[in-house]
Amino acid sequence: MLAIDADSLTKVYKGSSRAALNNVSIKVDSAKIFTLLGRNGAGKTTFVRMAATQLLPTSGSISVLGYDAVRQAKQVRQLISVVPQEGRPLRALTPWDHVYNWLQIRGEDKKQAREKTEAVLQKLELSEVRDRPAMNLSGGMKQKILVAMALAVDAQLLFLDEPTIGLDPVSRRQVWSAVKDWKAKGGSILLTTHYMDEAEMLSDYIAIIDRGSVVAEGTVRDLRKVIPQNTRIDVARDGLDIETLQSFGSVVDTGAGTLRVFTFESSIRELSELAIRRNLPFTVSPVTLDDVFVYLVGNIESNGGWSQRSQ
Amino acid sequence: MVATKSITLPARQAFLIAYSTGILWLRRNPSSLVFTAISPFSLLFVLFVISNGQYVQFAVAGSLVMALVGYGLALGQDISFYKTEYKIQDVFVASPVSPLTYMMGLALSELMFGLPALTALAALVVYFGASLFNIPLLVATILLLWSSMSAMGFFLSSHMLHMRNATQVISFVNVILAVLPPVFYPIANLPEQLQYLSYAVPTTHASLMLQHSMGLPVPAGWSLEFGYAVQIAYLVGFVTLAKTRAIWRET
Repeated sequence: MLAIDADSLTKVYKGSSRAALNNVSIKVDSAKIFTLLGRNGAGKTTFVRMAATQLLPTSGSISVLGYDAVRQAKQVRQLISVVPQEGRPLRALTPWDHVYNWLQIRGEDKKQAREKTEAVLQKLELSEVRDRPAMNLSGGMKQKILVAMALAVDAQLLFLDEPTIGLDPVSRRQVWSAVKDWKAKGGSILLTTHYMDEAEMLSDYIAIIDRGSVVAEGTVRDLRKVIPQNTRIDVARDGLDIETLQSFGSVVDTGAGTLRVFTFESSIRELSELAIRRNLPFTVSPVTLDDVFVYLVGNIESNGGWSQRSQ
Repeated sequence: MVATKSITLPARQAFLIAYSTGILWLRRNPSSLVFTAISPFSLLFVLFVISNGQYVQFAVAGSLVMALVGYGLALGQDISFYKTEYKIQDVFVASPVSPLTYMMGLALSELMFGLPALTALAALVVYFGASLFNIPLLVATILLLWSSMSAMGFFLSSHMLHMRNATQVISFVNVILAVLPPVFYPIANLPEQLQYLSYAVPTTHASLMLQHSMGLPVPAGWSLEFGYAVQIAYLVGFVTLAKTRAIWRET
């Protein structure tokens, strides 16, 4: 059974002439992590909110765990859990209060709620501050409270709308680990994020949304193939002319005094020697999801950067 | 995977929402009780001083009604805050908690904040003439008005997209319901046409019921039964409105 099956989903907000989501069809497999990537305002949160029964679509259909998310919202709500974008915990409540009370509100008895609260707070390293009101916690810890509330619930589908925003690298990894554990138990996850490393680390499948439409989808490996070359070399631009570099592949001006050359492994040696001869620092790495994302939605060519795309 | 839903779950959910947003807040911020308790006494104080105590019973009835309107409608501000600022309402919407349970929980929470003032004002009603026999009437009046105002606050705030709009609309409704009608003053002070109009306002009846319980004269033709009927009609109307027309899932 599919966790989410959206067909020709469209959302036009009242007072707007532009569709926030335009004819989007997405299928999310069960027990997988499906990630939506897109710029701010691309339509990711609109999609999440419609799937999570928080927002009605203008047209199209969407079913969640086999139930129609519009007409059978009550059934869907029994089976899902959410971390809203830019949510905040209540100031006077502690991490323990949030999770323990929320679990009881969701129907757990006190014993189960206590055990699950202890486990999730430990997992997200909130145990030490479990009795401290949220108003006295850092922004990252506040965000982790919302994640803990969602993860503690015994649901089948988890919606994470930018769950690691504002978290330090260690906390982000704690959340990733908890999300992977959730998936290992058979849970499905719909994730939105701006962090490409997060998407690469967690996702089984990714859809890139731009201006309300899906512009690409596939596994990380599939998406990397969007860029024909497989290697990226960043080299300081001092004294280098773009024409020379273009003979190796596509060149992008990163805007930070560095030129980025997308090329093949076979060119690494020659390009490295060129940089070394001119005493220029350089780095070599595989093409990343970040490159693919910018390639697809970044309008790089308008900055005169992405030569490959304009050819 | 989800725990079995018992028939008592909605009541438990409402209590837990009230506990989380009301009792826990007050336990950690007890000064909030003082701040929220003082405001209903402001007009009582002014009227008492201006009238040399002559209008004190009207002022007590009016203050109790005004407090109930205020605490009921304050639910709307809370809801607006949780929806637009904290986004925590999104978590509730995407859960088995129904909108009416959510409303009930937050309404109970508001009641916690208002309890000292409401208790003191109810005690003043008894002090100024209500017999023990009238206490059930007093309690019924309080519950009816608080419930209908809470449902109204929920309905109004669900249509507000911005915290500021909610605050403005709720302040406006507060004046319409608790200041302009004969809540603090005798209905006989109004021109006859306006008296008929004011009978359409639930707070007029709540005040008349309180005035009646304190032994003050009530207009000929008005009866407790009429007062109850209007109050119950408003309660049913606002709860129906909250249940069927409040925006829970956004459109």
